[in-house]
Amino acid sequence: MEALSDNALMIKVRDGDLDRLGLLFERHKRPLYGFFYGLCKEQELSEDLVQNTFLRIMKYRHLFRGEGDFKAWMFHIARNVKHDHHRKNKIQAKEQLEHWQERLGNHENRSTEMQHDEEHTMLSMAMERLPEDKREVLLLSKYQEKKYHEIGELLGCSEGAVKVKVFRALQELKVIYKQLEQSH
Amino acid sequence: MEKNKIEEIVTKYNEGVADPAEILQIEQLIESGAIQLHQLQELTLLDEQLIKLNDPKPSINLDDKFYSSLKAEKKRAKSESFSFNFSDWNILAPRLAFGLALIILGFLGGYLLQRPSFSGEVQQLTQEVSDLKEMMVFSLLEKESATDRLKAVSLSTEMNQVSKKVTAALFKTLNEDENANVRLAALEALTSYSKDSEVRKELIKSISIQDSPLVQVALAELMVAIQEKKSVKELQKLLQNEKTPKEVKNKIKNSINVLI
Repeated sequence: MEALSDNALMIKVRDGDLDRLGLLFERHKRPLYGFFYGLCKEQELSEDLVQNTFLRIMKYRHLFRGEGDFKAWMFHIARNVKHDHHRKNKIQAKEQLEHWQERLGNHENRSTEMQHDEEHTMLSMAMERLPEDKREVLLLSKYQEKKYHEIGELLGCSEGAVKVKVFRALQELKVIYKQLEQSH
Repeated sequence: MEKNKIEEIVTKYNEGVADPAEILQIEQLIESGAIQLHQLQELTLLDEQLIKLNDPKPSINLDDKFYSSLKAEKKRAKSESFSFNFSDWNILAPRLAFGLALIILGFLGGYLLQRPSFSGEVQQLTQEVSDLKEMMVFSLLEKESATDRLKAVSLSTEMNQVSKKVTAALFKTLNEDENANVRLAALEALTSYSKDSEVRKELIKSISIQDSPLVQVALAELMVAIQEKKSVKELQKLLQNEKTPKEVKNKIKNSINVLI
């Protein structure tokens, strides 16, 4: 809806109508949470990262120019929030395969909304086994609705390079998925 | 590379017989735009499954934290210092009660899960949580603060099954709330139920009630999105109303043209 477009709402927030940020929050909290949860698999941490992203949007609202895509700007901030968190907590960027079984066995932090369909469960498991950078590119592709140009700006590479990253990530995901299928 | 060579290499990949050198060529062709990702069938299917994977859901704590921060920022922006005072109990008490009730229900759920036959009790528990959420929605919609009323609308969107009482409350909010942002949020929430014929009827009725240009335009756009031709009469009334701003009239004219 044009009148309610993200950019239009954010411009109003920038110009002092903070209540509109509530609408943006309602629209984007789930995909943003999905993005963070897909990366860290921790509910509380993912919520904190969403909260921090919106706090920064609020704090730096005067920097929003109104050009470009609000969602891309939001994900740009989200990635910075994630990097800052990693730096602060000295969490390793690359994940070790040895940790998979621990994380797969830990159901406490799983969202209760996850589908129980076996294919989807295996796909989720396969995603968890992907290296973080590949997982991130697939999550960005999902939540940015395959806007590869915008993803390229986020990642600092060309649109073509993003497509290659997506290709490599999907290739590896396919291999892991097949391995899981065979072991079940 | 020639077109037929490209097609050949894509076919080989789709048949699972491309060798590593050919896969490297495919990467180069993807980067240059000569091959599109959707041409690679198995990967496209996998990608589609990924998109369909349900998004995990955050807890209510996220909403609480955000809306508290928003409230704080609004006060700061008005150069007032935020401090907790006794009058805030009016806002905090229902949320604390809700949180406490959820904790108790959670313990009860844990106890029940250990019993051999618990499916009936789980259903009852789910219903009780849903009833509690509904109570919270009604309670927050009565609050003076627009932020609380926005919170109420947000909570209603988290409910799996929304009763007629809740949609009625959302319509009351859409038609009567003094804050345009809250009315817009209510409209967004009601959009999810626009397949229901009763909801569509009420949305059409709402058109002539609105005086905020933003809400008027949003309703017109929604009517186009859901292809509700029965809304044309109400949209025409709005068009003929002298008080309707020119920009809104232009938008409505376009909407009517699409609908008829």
